[in-house]
Amino acid sequence: MGKIKIGMVSFEHMHALSYAKALSKMEDVEISGVADSDMYRGTQAASMFNTKYYQDYRKLLETPVDGVVICTCNKLHMPTVIDAAKAHKYIMVEKPFATNTKEADAMLKACRDNGVKMMTAFPLRFNQAVIEAKKQIDRGDIGDILCITGINHGKMPSGWFLDINKSGGGAIIDHTVHVADLMRWFTGSEVKTVYAETGNMLYNTGIDDCGILNVEFENGVFATIDTSWAHHKNYPIWPEVYMEIIGTKGVLKVDAFKQVERIYSEESGEITDDVWGSDGDEGLMREFVNTIKTGKEPSETGLDGAKAMWIALAAYASSKSHKVEKVVYGG
Amino acid sequence: MLKVAIVGAGTMGSVHSNSYRSVRGAKVVAICDIRPDRATKAASAHGAKCYEDYDMMLRNEKIDVVDICLPTYMHKGFALKAISYGKHVFCEKPIALSIGDAREMVDGARNRGVKFSVGHVVRFFPAYAKAVKNIKEGKIGIPKLIRTTRAGAYPSWSWNNWYSNYDCSGGPMVDLIIHDIDWIRYNFGDVERVFARDLYGRKIDNLDHCLITLRLKNGAIAHIEGSWAYPKGSIFGTTFEIIGTKGQIEFDSRSSAPIKKYVPNGDAVRTSIESPMFPDEEPYTMEIQKFIDCITENKKPLVSGEDAIKALEISLAAVKSARTKEVVLPGGDN
Repeated sequence: MGKIKIGMVSFEHMHALSYAKALSKMEDVEISGVADSDMYRGTQAASMFNTKYYQDYRKLLETPVDGVVICTCNKLHMPTVIDAAKAHKYIMVEKPFATNTKEADAMLKACRDNGVKMMTAFPLRFNQAVIEAKKQIDRGDIGDILCITGINHGKMPSGWFLDINKSGGGAIIDHTVHVADLMRWFTGSEVKTVYAETGNMLYNTGIDDCGILNVEFENGVFATIDTSWAHHKNYPIWPEVYMEIIGTKGVLKVDAFKQVERIYSEESGEITDDVWGSDGDEGLMREFVNTIKTGKEPSETGLDGAKAMWIALAAYASSKSHKVEKVVYGG
Repeated sequence: MLKVAIVGAGTMGSVHSNSYRSVRGAKVVAICDIRPDRATKAASAHGAKCYEDYDMMLRNEKIDVVDICLPTYMHKGFALKAISYGKHVFCEKPIALSIGDAREMVDGARNRGVKFSVGHVVRFFPAYAKAVKNIKEGKIGIPKLIRTTRAGAYPSWSWNNWYSNYDCSGGPMVDLIIHDIDWIRYNFGDVERVFARDLYGRKIDNLDHCLITLRLKNGAIAHIEGSWAYPKGSIFGTTFEIIGTKGQIEFDSRSSAPIKKYVPNGDAVRTSIESPMFPDEEPYTMEIQKFIDCITENKKPLVSGEDAIKALEISLAAVKSARTKEVVLPGGDN
C-alpha cells in the first residue's frame, strides 16, 4: 500500500498547523496539497510542508487525495464538507462541527449519501491523561459517575473568531464542544437539558467570551462546563481542560495540560508553562489515517461533533431565555 | 473587659475558645455544653466556669456576650434567649435554616438594642481579604467571572452526625458554601439568578456535592462548588479564581500551604498540610476581635444580621433550584 494522501483544506483555523505537523511525522502519510483561499497563508503552509498549493480547494479535491483535513472558519465547514464528501474524500473537520442545525444535518447527510467517513477534530479524546482517566473510571476506580465539574479556559482568540458571520459564536460554541464531548464519552450518555449564563464580559468585542453551562445527562449525571476565554494575555499557558469527576466511591480529577515545565524568561519577559506531555493531535491524525486505511468507523465521528454543537446551541438558547432548555438533536 | 460565654464546645466552640486567648478586650468566663468533658476541656485555658444548663448560666453569670457554636437548628432558640437577657450575640454560620427564623433573631437583637453578628469568617481569611484588596486596587480590572470551591470529606465526625440530617444542617448548600456565597455577595454584588444541583435524594450514604451558578445583578457570573464527596481522610481545601477585565487572581489553599508533612501510617503514609498564621492574624480571632470592638466602640458589626439573611436567601434559593431543577430568584418565598 502506498502512502495515504492527505489534503489540508485551509489554515484559517490555526489548529491546521499542528495537525499538519503531526501528519508530516508519519511515514505512511503524504501531505499532498494545501488549499487556502488566502494565497499568502496557503503558500506559506505549502512551502513549510513541502507540498503543492491550491487557491481553490475544489482543485485539490480533484486530485487523488484519500482524505482532507478541513480547518476553514466555522461557517465554511458546511460547503467544504459537502464538496469533499461528493468527491468521496474521507473528512476530518475542525470543531465546532458547524454553527447551526441546518448546516450540521446537511454535512451528515452528504457523508452518508456518499459513503464517506467523517471525524470531528476532538484531540482531547487522544490526550494521554484523558485516555488514562477514562480507563480508570471504566474499570470502576471511583464507582459510578455522579457529577462533573468541567473547565475549558483559553486565551482570547483574534480575527475571524470574533466575527459571528464566520464563527457562528464566541467562547460558548468554541469551547463547549471539547468538554461536552469528553463528558458524553465518559458517561456514555447524552445531554438532555442545558442551563447557561453567558455574555460578552471581558473584552469589548460584541461576542460571547464567558459562559457557564449546567448540563444534565439522560442517566442523571449533572455537570457544569466553564467555556470562558478567561486566560489573559500573560497567563502562563493558553489552554486549560479540566474535569473533576465525582463518583460513588471516589473522586478523579484530570487536567489535560498539566504536564508542563515553567519557564521564567528574562529574554522574552514572560513566564510560560511549556507542555512536555503527549499531544492529542498526533493520536487524532493517526485515527484519521487508520480510518482511511481500514474504512472502519472511527472512534469518534462527525455525529459526535454535531451532538457537542447541539449542546452549545442549547446554551445559547438558554442564555437568552434564562430557562432550562432541552437539547434539540438535529432538524 | 467584656465577659463572654461560649455555648457549644464542639469543633467550632473549641476554635472560638482558642481564639479568645488572643482577643483584646474580652474574656471567656463561662462555657456551656451538655457534654461536661468538652466544656471542661475548652474552659481550662480561660479559668472559665462550666455549665450544662444554659438558663442557669445566663441567670448566674455576669455575661456581656454569648457566642453560639451550636448545630444550626438550635441557633434561633439559644440566640433569642440570650437576647432576652440583654446579651450581645455572636452566632456561628449559617444564621438559621429559614428566613423567618433568621429574621426573628435579627429583629430581636435590634429591638433589644444588642449587637448581633454571624460567623461569615471567610471575609477574614487572609488570602480572601487580600484578593478583595487587590481587586479594589484595580489589579485585574472589573471582576466578571468568579469560581470558588470548598471541598472535603463528609462531616460524619459531627455530634450525633447532625450534619447528615438536612433538617438540622441544611446540607452543603446551606452549611458549607454559604461561606463563599457571603464572600461573593458582600464583595462582588447582589444576586439576580440562581441555578443549582446537588446529590440530595440519591441515597448514597455520607456523600454530597453541589454546583451552584449565580448571575449577579451587575452581570458577573459566579460558579460555586461545595463538596462532601471526598473520601474520609481527604485534605480539606478551598480555591478561588477571579477573572477580571484586566487580569485574574487564583488561590488554592492546598498548593499554597507552606508546610507539608508525610508521616508513616502503617504501610501507607499520612499526608498533612498546614498554613500557620500569627494568632492576631488568624481569621477566627479577627472576626471575634471585630465583633468585640464593635461592642466596645458601639459600632455596627462588619457582618450584619442582614448580611447573614441575604446569604441564607441565596443558599435557600440554591436548594429550591436543585429540588425543582429550575432557575430561582433569591429573596422570594423560598
